[in-house]
Amino acid sequence: MSQHHIDVFFSVMPFLLQGFAETLKLSLVGVLWGSVLGALLGIIRGQQIAFFSPLIGAYIHILRGTPFLVQLYIAYFVLPNTGLAWLMWDSQTAAFASLGIYTSSYVTEIVSAAIRAIPRGQWEASFAVGFTRMQSLRHVILPQSVGLIMPSLGGVYVNLIKATSIVSVVGIAELTRQGEISILRFPADILYIYLLVALLYFAFCFPVLMTVDWLERRTKVGAKYGTAVLSGRLEAAE
Amino acid sequence: MLELLGQQIVPIYNYRIVLQYADEFSRGIGNTLSAAAASLVLSIAFGFLLALIRLSGRSWLTYPAAAYTHSIRATPLLLQIYIVYFGLPLLIPATGRWSEVVLGVIALTLHTTPYMAEIIRSGIVSVPRGQREGAIAVGMTPIQQYRHIILPQAFTNTLPPLLGQSAILVKDTSLLSLITVFDLVSAGMLLNSERIRPNEGFLSVAVIYLAIYCVMLMLSRVAEHYLAGTSRKARTA
Repeated sequence: MSQHHIDVFFSVMPFLLQGFAETLKLSLVGVLWGSVLGALLGIIRGQQIAFFSPLIGAYIHILRGTPFLVQLYIAYFVLPNTGLAWLMWDSQTAAFASLGIYTSSYVTEIVSAAIRAIPRGQWEASFAVGFTRMQSLRHVILPQSVGLIMPSLGGVYVNLIKATSIVSVVGIAELTRQGEISILRFPADILYIYLLVALLYFAFCFPVLMTVDWLERRTKVGAKYGTAVLSGRLEAAE
Repeated sequence: MLELLGQQIVPIYNYRIVLQYADEFSRGIGNTLSAAAASLVLSIAFGFLLALIRLSGRSWLTYPAAAYTHSIRATPLLLQIYIVYFGLPLLIPATGRWSEVVLGVIALTLHTTPYMAEIIRSGIVSVPRGQREGAIAVGMTPIQQYRHIILPQAFTNTLPPLLGQSAILVKDTSLLSLITVFDLVSAGMLLNSERIRPNEGFLSVAVIYLAIYCVMLMLSRVAEHYLAGTSRKARTA
């Protein structure tokens, strides 16, 4: 590493870290919205109600069947074209919304699979002691599902962080975009700057991934459902 | 009746404009599918090698393999594509003359190989120990063991997740549009920028991706149905 590389490092790093903070913000907001929406839909889907479950299944398949880039373009280009004022999103809102919806499809699948993994007898026993459906969910089923959901949720979060890099194409100044801007300043160091960006992503994602792997090894069932969903088995929950 | 429906839908989604761009769209679909197919074949081949390396248990092989796997899993695909597209010609000048599609396929292959390796590895591991021991007992060489005993049985457990990963690969090719490969997304982008009709541009792209996904979903259902009963895992899962 030469003096030149060290100079570039110090002049570029503040901007990259600023971009990293933006990436972190995007991913946290995305995982928050995605989890809330996904948990809600997943719990409904886990009940296997006649009309709603297939509807939510279609929602999952539509989101799984299209690339995130296309979903982002639809949120950013198509929705404002409807002419409705409340859908005229700026790039920030479009990014938040599409990241949240993208995440929700994974969370829905994980939550509903975890609910269905709880043995039938647990439902029957809680009905037998006079719990309503809501009470059984809250006191008996969900507490047992959490252990199955948590490891997979970590994997979803890493997926989401990696997806935030795509948001750079609508002009959000997150880590990848800051890298591109820095390259405009130091065009000769293109590979070096991209490697710095990669290192920042790695430094954040790798510990999360290791924790996920560790959690999955600890709960064998979690491994069975979680990795099945993430590694892309098309019908993990069937 | 159909005519009437056509009249109704035109203000929202003018299918006639899409039909004018049929050539561009079919070129885009062709590029998307061929890029996905090329990286699928390559990443299965390299993934098989990587799986064997990880199973070999020799630390001078497994440590570099683990480093590669982790660095791919912990960084975004978009960045990997940029690094290959901009960086490879700097390291190996001859690659500067290669087309974007080739560089894109290299990046996608680099990205997909560790995932394929994991799928193939767990398929191989799922074959009961006794099978390999039996093969050794009748005097098979390691290559014969794999070819006649292990791989045929591993295949049944590998096919469903392999199809899932292929579906992800098709979606991942959409990022190649950002390094100027003329894929499906680029076709939609072209329509949008020439006619300023985002509905026709991007909704068509989404529907075509969905159609490809539905075909793969059906294939995976057929595969699971066909394999049901032949595999121990399929019955218990």
